[in-house]
Amino acid sequence: MSETLIYGLTIGAILYFFSIGLSITFGTMQIVNFAHGMVYTVGVYFFITFLPVFGKIFPLAMALAIAAVLPIAFLVERFIIRRLYGESLDYAIIATYAVLLIGADLIKWVWGAMPQPVSDPLRISLRLGDFSFPLYRLVVFLSAVALFLGLRAFFNRSIIGRIVVAALEDRAGVRCLGLDVNRYFSIVFVIGSGLAVLGGVLYAPIATAEPYMGFHILLVAFAVVIVGGMGNLTGTFISAFVLGLVIAITARFWSQAADTMVFAVMALVLLKNSLLALWRRLVGAVVARAD
Amino acid sequence: MEKEGQTPATFPVAPLRKKVLARDIGVIAASFVLMALFIPLHWVIDFTIFCILVLSFDLLYGFMGRLSFGHVLYYGTGAYVASLMLLHVSRNPFLAIAAGVGAGAILAIVLGFIVLQTDGAPFALINLAFNQIGFWLAASGLQQYTKGEDGLNTPVGKMGFLDFANQPIAFGFLLICLLLVFLLLRVFTLSPYGVTIRSIKENDDRVKFLGYNIFTYKWLTFVLSSTLAAFPGTLFAIFYGFVAPTIISPFGNVEVIFAVLIGGAGNLYGAIAGGVVYKLMSNYLATNITRWEMVLGILLLIWVFKFRRGLTGYASELILRVKRKQAAEV
Repeated sequence: MSETLIYGLTIGAILYFFSIGLSITFGTMQIVNFAHGMVYTVGVYFFITFLPVFGKIFPLAMALAIAAVLPIAFLVERFIIRRLYGESLDYAIIATYAVLLIGADLIKWVWGAMPQPVSDPLRISLRLGDFSFPLYRLVVFLSAVALFLGLRAFFNRSIIGRIVVAALEDRAGVRCLGLDVNRYFSIVFVIGSGLAVLGGVLYAPIATAEPYMGFHILLVAFAVVIVGGMGNLTGTFISAFVLGLVIAITARFWSQAADTMVFAVMALVLLKNSLLALWRRLVGAVVARAD
Repeated sequence: MEKEGQTPATFPVAPLRKKVLARDIGVIAASFVLMALFIPLHWVIDFTIFCILVLSFDLLYGFMGRLSFGHVLYYGTGAYVASLMLLHVSRNPFLAIAAGVGAGAILAIVLGFIVLQTDGAPFALINLAFNQIGFWLAASGLQQYTKGEDGLNTPVGKMGFLDFANQPIAFGFLLICLLLVFLLLRVFTLSPYGVTIRSIKENDDRVKFLGYNIFTYKWLTFVLSSTLAAFPGTLFAIFYGFVAPTIISPFGNVEVIFAVLIGGAGNLYGAIAGGVVYKLMSNYLATNITRWEMVLGILLLIWVFKFRRGLTGYASELILRVKRKQAAEV
């Protein structure tokens, strides 16, 4: 069971890295951003390319991959996302989906369609009583917690973070103060993309890199964002770990059902209000009959 | 809800004229038969089935403005139930169609209550989630019934002259099915019901203020659209005699959405034209261009930024301009 727990926390950490960007884009711009999956996948492929070139130093290759993706993320924000602001939802979904398709095909063109494995950079197993687990997974989990605390400080203390939080609440109000909201959104968008790549690179040794990896994590990350509340940063943190544990526990008993279970949880959360109302009505009817 | 970017209704409410209806049906039938002369018949059959699916999606998205990323779930359900029916109960194709459509309807009736609690992006995504669950059930959850990735091979019986192995006869039958669905949707969308759902697309709050129970309308439309999506699924199962999980895969939704968009959302001709154009593109381009997904992505981007009204939107504008010119000359 402890292995399942560690696995769930690791998956939760990866989901958290990925979902922050999605959650912010949704909260600020009301855009469901499928292009996030493209940025993530391209980042992981950059990492795989850089790793042998720079002498297999994991953190260096990771930093370079993130740096290489930032300009791409900036271009996507400037030329796709920003032009869609204020449009109806469908156009944004379709346009960012198109970006995701183009990205997947570009990757197949440049790197080929074969999955590419990445080896565990630490290769140390921790022993705890009579079970052992890779130290690497613990590092991933701890870095997610550190990131959460760091982001909290960023959004509560720094001026950029505070402007974005204020704009999440009331975009028009912030604009009335004479601030160019779009510029700050663009900064946060690029940061979110960098974090997605960080998550992708950390996930690569656990899974393998393949051109469509962005599609799969996107579906689960949408569930994370919906369960956590769109644009709610603490909610995203909690729901990422809860759903990570849901995946791990389901996978322990029935591996193919893991993703489906996540969607079942998401459906329950979306229907929470209706179910509560139904429950109250039922209880009310029973009580009325008892009276 | 943000509605600014949506295309305005491209044609006004008009009374249903029998002459116009007969002309429309004649034009569609003639163009499909004409198409069959120039391109392989099994392609045209594929187009016909796909066009019915696109028509059903157009009712939900084009007319009522609810974008779903899970429409293929009902298509796949229809296909699976029809082939299970053919395998285990009876070889009668009509019984299989009835069973598949019925199963799609029941699923939509139940899920409709759930998914319509949401709107906008959550609506699109919760449908996607249900579609993913359906895909998983078909691929591995209900493996002992669906045979997982191997798929189901279904025997098809003959019904008198109706032999589905005979391509021209099958084509005739499918074309009649397409025309019937078109006719049904034409009547529905021009009726007061159709006006109401188009008003719900424009502004559902105002419709509510007018005293309509919009949930009932949304639910009815969802059930109708999903049931009509199960219908081409059953046709697919009967004609091809083979059903695999790819038929219910969530990726299929993109094809349907794109087809509606090419043609122009909220226009029944648009749905048919879009379905044909999309299938032609994917059949020709996918065999000739290796970077097919990239081309599709770029086309989608061009559509979103430059070509929103679709084929029918531009066609109707052109006709209007010609008419104005004529009026000016007179």
